[in-house]
Amino acid sequence: MMNVKTVSRGLMLAGLMMGAAVLPGPVLAQGKTITGGFDVGPGGFPKNFNPLAATAGFTWLTTYYEPLVIYNAGLSKIEGDLASSYSLSPDQKTYTFKLVKTNWQDGAPFTSADVKFTLDLARNAATGSVFVARLGAIADVETPDDQTVILKLKRPDSGLLSTLTQVMMLPKHALADKAPASLATSSWWSTKPIGTGPFTFSRYVTDQYVELSANDNYRGGKPKVDHLINRYFANAAAAVSALRAGEIQFTYVEPDDARTFAGKPNFRVIEGSSYVVNYIGFNQKVDLWKDVRVRQAVMYAINREAIIKSLYGGAAKAAQCGYVAPQLVPSGLNDYAYNPAKAKKLLAEAGWNKINGSKPITWLTYYGSQQAANVMAAIQSMLAQVGINVVPRVVDAPTYNGIVYKQNNPDWSAFPMVYAGLQDGPNPASINVGLNKSQLPPAGANIMRVQFNDLSAAFDAALGETDKTKVDARWQDVCRLMNKELPWGTMWAANRYGVASKKLVNFVWTPAPAGGPFADHPEQWDIK
Amino acid sequence: MLTYMFRRLAVGLAMLLALSVLVFILLRLAPGDPVAAYINPSAPLSPQALAELRARLGLDQPLPVQYLAWLRAALSGNFGYSIQRGGVPVLPLVLGRVGPTALLMGTGLVIATVAGIATGIVSAVRRNSSLDVALSAVASLGISSPAFLTALLGLYLFAVKFHVAPAGGMLTPGVPFSLTDLLAHLILPACLLSLGYAAMIMRYMRSSLLEVLNQDYVRTARAKGVREVWVILKHATRNALLPVITLIGSTIGVAVGGAIFLESVFNWPGMGLLLVDAVSSRDYPVIMCATLITGAGVILVNLLTDLLYAVIDPRIQVSK
Repeated sequence: MMNVKTVSRGLMLAGLMMGAAVLPGPVLAQGKTITGGFDVGPGGFPKNFNPLAATAGFTWLTTYYEPLVIYNAGLSKIEGDLASSYSLSPDQKTYTFKLVKTNWQDGAPFTSADVKFTLDLARNAATGSVFVARLGAIADVETPDDQTVILKLKRPDSGLLSTLTQVMMLPKHALADKAPASLATSSWWSTKPIGTGPFTFSRYVTDQYVELSANDNYRGGKPKVDHLINRYFANAAAAVSALRAGEIQFTYVEPDDARTFAGKPNFRVIEGSSYVVNYIGFNQKVDLWKDVRVRQAVMYAINREAIIKSLYGGAAKAAQCGYVAPQLVPSGLNDYAYNPAKAKKLLAEAGWNKINGSKPITWLTYYGSQQAANVMAAIQSMLAQVGINVVPRVVDAPTYNGIVYKQNNPDWSAFPMVYAGLQDGPNPASINVGLNKSQLPPAGANIMRVQFNDLSAAFDAALGETDKTKVDARWQDVCRLMNKELPWGTMWAANRYGVASKKLVNFVWTPAPAGGPFADHPEQWDIK
Repeated sequence: MLTYMFRRLAVGLAMLLALSVLVFILLRLAPGDPVAAYINPSAPLSPQALAELRARLGLDQPLPVQYLAWLRAALSGNFGYSIQRGGVPVLPLVLGRVGPTALLMGTGLVIATVAGIATGIVSAVRRNSSLDVALSAVASLGISSPAFLTALLGLYLFAVKFHVAPAGGMLTPGVPFSLTDLLAHLILPACLLSLGYAAMIMRYMRSSLLEVLNQDYVRTARAKGVREVWVILKHATRNALLPVITLIGSTIGVAVGGAIFLESVFNWPGMGLLLVDAVSSRDYPVIMCATLITGAGVILVNLLTDLLYAVIDPRIQVSK
């Protein structure tokens, strides 16, 4: 029996030794290092290194590349970056950029030839560039001297400067020998890219992190930290865990997580407008929404103020049209204050019982967060009270895009109604793609097939306005028509959040759509 | 033995081919494609631009043409490029993930096997004692706790709350490789992965050993005066191990599923995280290659398990 006990004890001891293995502590990074989840959230584009293919992720890209012009940190105006100044001709068809004197990170001088080279690549579909259509107004790029670039336009384009903020300048001397078609699959981007930014590319550990080192010769001064590290996370929750554990100093967070950081002494919650307007899209290809009274009824049936207060904690602004920027929203708009009785009356007048009655209507969305689920459940309940029976269907973004972008025989019944968002700023022209009849597929992304002639004309007038003093008034016209005709049921523009450790000094971040870019001056970031 | 191995390998290859067809069809049946995954719904591109991207990726070709093109390239060792990563070759990308997954799964399974067998033996030998009851209770808890709960709870407690383990990843970014760093990142997910399996193995081991301990040959060994420790370890345990090995072998596939979830929670750069990521971005070439390599791994492990039977129990002849 003694032997049995010995065996038991021996085995138990072995088990305990394995189980109680002392956990070795994590190793600390060398030199002054800021580590963050810079590509977490809707503004990020993790694992993409090719700026020509970037639809987001510009916060990180501008730590080692730079554009000609860039938004200021408040996203209120565009200022020079690699362009020291720029001017626009009176007919709005010629941009002249004066370039700063600076060098690429390998020492070669940055010149107008690089700008022309980059813009030619960005306008060449063979490179896989996502900028081809948006730079379509450019007729010619001229370089009269090394420090001057002239863009000749085919037509005035009020959105061009905004697009140029996202076009990162590329070195001609390093890329000219590569065939444009080979760039999309080139390893150059993730192994030895050269930019003009404050940090230089050190290494990419596949799918885990990217490490940059200080560019000691940066024209804005030597960066205050030695390294910047961008860690990749499977989701925002994993990044939040790393932030709480002290492994990273910054990440985007979901609104629910942001609340848990409020008032914590070691963290700073950064809040800002998402510049994305959330809307209920009415598919104009189905008969449900032809009568404007039905669309009005939807608006009157939804208590937006209550949803903003209870589900967004007040951190959203009701949208009476496609944008909420005060200078673009005229006074005297209908605020569609909650009025279910009026909604019922309008539905009765429109003959809703004959149009659809209580039959279920699929309400498609790609928003998968708990907050979105709560919002949709609340709206579903409010609409049910007036006799509109919507059934939310949540799918992931690729599935959503696969449904709404289907070219051959689209199934309209799969998306008679959507809950979606569209970037509405800083440049209001962003929403043109979703509402102008000139943007009907396949030419554009007017996925709800909105074809209102007066609204399209108003968009065209705003986009083509050459008098700077009248631009806001043109956008107010668009807003007024949107509010009256309700091509969408515009809901709100919600805030988004990031959380930074209080160890960070001079750290600038704002939840800009697509990650900006904006002038965040990474060379001034420091860590205590 | 060799004939048997070749036969099994041939069947395995046929299964892999069938798997590739199945995965290819399932991927195309699923809504959305890599280009649809590329669009940020709040900053859309025109369908015209998307059509150009589709043509560039060959996604506009008929499905049989796409499959045969993929198969032809795959047979020559070219599994294509990751669409999500702008042209990173798929095969090295996927093979690079085998090591981290094998490390995590291997460590988890070793911990589970050693802990499960050890506690199973202790439980059986000390049957009905308070220790046996306690170990059985812990095992029940381990089996009944869902992986997502233990993983998230473990992460919260050990990484976020007590700061005794890193919150994810395999190595600390920005520092040279060190074994200590690797172990620091490995130990928590490996232990959490092992929990359920250790509990399962412990219960199998306990019941199997209890059955064997009542066999005549064990009684004979005791009657011959063999020391109790040898009776248990040499005569009883060896025979009791057979069903446990079957269990371990047959749960390798399930363990892959567990690792996929755990890798997502712990940001462990293995096959699981790669697959989850690839599926959410509809990165077809990565999904195809990763599925095939995982499938090949499971087929090989099952074959090795069958071969191991013969080593453990000479009465079994695998060639039959």
